[in-house]
Amino acid sequence: MTRQLPALAAALAAACLALPPAAAQAQTAPLPSQAEMAQILQQLSTELAEMKTQVRQLQQERDAARAAAAPVGAAVPTTAGASAAPAAATAAITPAPATGIETAAAAAAPAQPATVLSSYGEINYSRPTNDSAKTQADMVRFVLGYQHRFDERTKVVAELELEHAVASAEDAGEVALEQAFVERQFNLEWAGQAGLFLMPIGLLNGNHEPIAYYGVWRNFVETAIIPSTWREGGLQAIGTFDSGITVNVGVSTGFDVGQWDASSSDCGASPLGCIHQEMALARAKDIAVFGRLDWRGVPGLLLGGSIFSGGASQAQDGVASSRVTLGEVHARWQPGRWDLAALATYGSISNSAELNRPQVGNPVLIPESFAGWYVLAAYRLWQDEDYTLSPFARFEQYNTGRSYADLGAGLTPPALPTQQVITVGVDFKIGQGIVFKGDYQGFKVDSKLNRVSLGLGWNF
Amino acid sequence: MKIYQTIVAGGLLTLSLAGCGGGGSDDASAPALSADAALGEKIFNDTALSASGVQSCATCHDAAALHGPGNALPAQFGGPAMDRQGLRQTPSIRYLASNRAFNFDAEGTPNGGFFWDGRAVSLADQAGQPFLNPREMANPDKAAVVAALARAAYAEEFRSVYGANVFDDVEGAYHRMTLALQAFQLQDQALRPYSSKYDAFLQGRGPLSDTELRGLAWFNSPAKGNCAACHPSARGDDGSPPLFTDFSYDNLGVPRNPELAVNADPAYFDLGLCARAGADVAGRGDLCGAFKVPSLRNVAVRQVFFHNGRFKSLKEALSFYVQRDTNPEKWYPLNADGSVDKFDDLPPQYRANVNTSEAPYDRRRGEVPALSDAEIDELIAFLNTLTDGYTP
Repeated sequence: MTRQLPALAAALAAACLALPPAAAQAQTAPLPSQAEMAQILQQLSTELAEMKTQVRQLQQERDAARAAAAPVGAAVPTTAGASAAPAAATAAITPAPATGIETAAAAAAPAQPATVLSSYGEINYSRPTNDSAKTQADMVRFVLGYQHRFDERTKVVAELELEHAVASAEDAGEVALEQAFVERQFNLEWAGQAGLFLMPIGLLNGNHEPIAYYGVWRNFVETAIIPSTWREGGLQAIGTFDSGITVNVGVSTGFDVGQWDASSSDCGASPLGCIHQEMALARAKDIAVFGRLDWRGVPGLLLGGSIFSGGASQAQDGVASSRVTLGEVHARWQPGRWDLAALATYGSISNSAELNRPQVGNPVLIPESFAGWYVLAAYRLWQDEDYTLSPFARFEQYNTGRSYADLGAGLTPPALPTQQVITVGVDFKIGQGIVFKGDYQGFKVDSKLNRVSLGLGWNF
Repeated sequence: MKIYQTIVAGGLLTLSLAGCGGGGSDDASAPALSADAALGEKIFNDTALSASGVQSCATCHDAAALHGPGNALPAQFGGPAMDRQGLRQTPSIRYLASNRAFNFDAEGTPNGGFFWDGRAVSLADQAGQPFLNPREMANPDKAAVVAALARAAYAEEFRSVYGANVFDDVEGAYHRMTLALQAFQLQDQALRPYSSKYDAFLQGRGPLSDTELRGLAWFNSPAKGNCAACHPSARGDDGSPPLFTDFSYDNLGVPRNPELAVNADPAYFDLGLCARAGADVAGRGDLCGAFKVPSLRNVAVRQVFFHNGRFKSLKEALSFYVQRDTNPEKWYPLNADGSVDKFDDLPPQYRANVNTSEAPYDRRRGEVPALSDAEIDELIAFLNTLTDGYTP
């Protein structure tokens, strides 16, 4: 706690500096009350913390620039974390990251190594409090990535992911290419990406490294409703403007409702996660469009929203014409030690009655709509050197089968119960690259799912 | 005697009708058969290749009966005098093109293979066996079949396709005959027309009625019929139309059928998979009583059901499914002490193999069956949509 004292002193000094105008006002207005003074101090303290964050960021950029001066071959293994790692690493140390913009903005940075290695990992342990036999430990993800810069305006970014430690015919693991795209910075405002990229939807999908979110597990809303990690192949333009506005627009591959397995609980757990194609011999007759708008006009504040819409029948015989549409709005505010976030999303699959008729009676039919929202509050309670302890709480509500199209009496599935989950826990960061996590999650609908989890993540 | 009857005779009237029946598609747009497939079609319909001289493949796999038997016999008759009853019911040979050789999958579950016990590894292997089965076409040996082939009207065609001296090598000629039959079965669109009302429904060319749709729901529902667990009704991952079989094996504990002559011997039991010819799985006592899951396409035109032909109507077969465990006294004889002799077509040591864990079998005596009588009728209405030849 001793570290807080200099900050408090600085805040008091800043408050003194702010007094003259207040004193001048006092000639025509009553002096501020003690409570108002406390509020002013709090505001100043918040602004000071933001400034410190910005200074830290500038220092890191300076370090990155220095590192960039080293020979490329020698720099790759040792300086990647401090230099121009792909979007993921940059996002982790940026208070309110801009999806896709990190890489675009990097073009304006000083000379950097041409090739940079990046990686992140996630190890989790979960123990259901009411069903301890299902306790599980898992090397959830291990990701290796690289960024190669052909010139200061052009680069390629790729990430290869291994889930669940072992991938073989007998094991549950999976190897997947998460990203593989090229990017060109056209001018100061606009960049373009082409290839396999993360969809700029929501807060988590584009910044899904364990260091970038609170809690051992990714939140349910941005896994069950907005699938993560959700990537598509396509083209997008990214615009970043001095006004604080960031824009993403693009066209991409989309979903395939023909993949729906009405007997699979996976489809019930995440409708879009069940029918995404991940660019693995993806059916591409139907082209999707997407867009995102973010505003960062006030330091520490992010307001935005995004939408995706695309045909999902892919012109397959016997698969009724259908369209998947998903929209969301999000906000993140980081006043001082606080980190507050909220997101609401709604998705639909059109013509689901026609799609479902051949599947009637099966346990998991295609929903007409699905939705969810969450609010999160975290507080940087303690910080010493590069240690940071941040307790947090998150409440989320979501429904993967909010409504079903009418199939006739006795055949139309009832809407699923809305899930409510509260997560309380703590993130303990070491520097900007390592995080230990612990949390408890309580499930309202099915308390058998209640669990305590521990996690370790890293990212560079 | 675990000889499987794929091709047996059902009666002279049936024979004469079947002799005219061919496998050739009536669809003018269907691609023409290759030379070996066209030869296979002739062999398929040739009664001269049997010891009786009146039985061909088409006799039991009657195109008029959608390539199944056109009668209600539990097993067809064959042999030199057409007086030997087979041991098992004759399945349809439609929709077998995608079946594969018998194997155990990654989970150790048996699947694939041809015949009720999967003993044939391919359509060709399957096609070659009835010619030599004493209860079917009953030729004494391959040489007799090849000699008959050499006398056939299409013998020159056979030579043209397989070589002028093909008949000099009995094994080679016999093998080529089975390959020709396989080619015919793989190429003839009549053997997989996908022309049922359900196919039209899946293709968006017409709806199911409300009754049929409810029947489909009972078919799919894991809590009701749970039929789709073994007879998948959904398209394949590649969009292919459903075959209504997962090619797996199951032990249903079907009651003993007194209409099978062989069952007059109380010591005789048809143990299916574990007792098949070749004895390759003879050590697997847990597989005794298991038989292959057949396709349900065209099931509504069948007149007998299950491997031993125990039931003669869909209503009876479906009622057995859902009432086997809730009302066993309806299906099995009573012991001297009044108890039910459940699973009486299996020796006592193998009765524990019967599937009692999955719906609709997961119930106890006296409980409510998974399907009501009305729901069974709706399910039958749905099964009727699986019959080929529907015109919207």
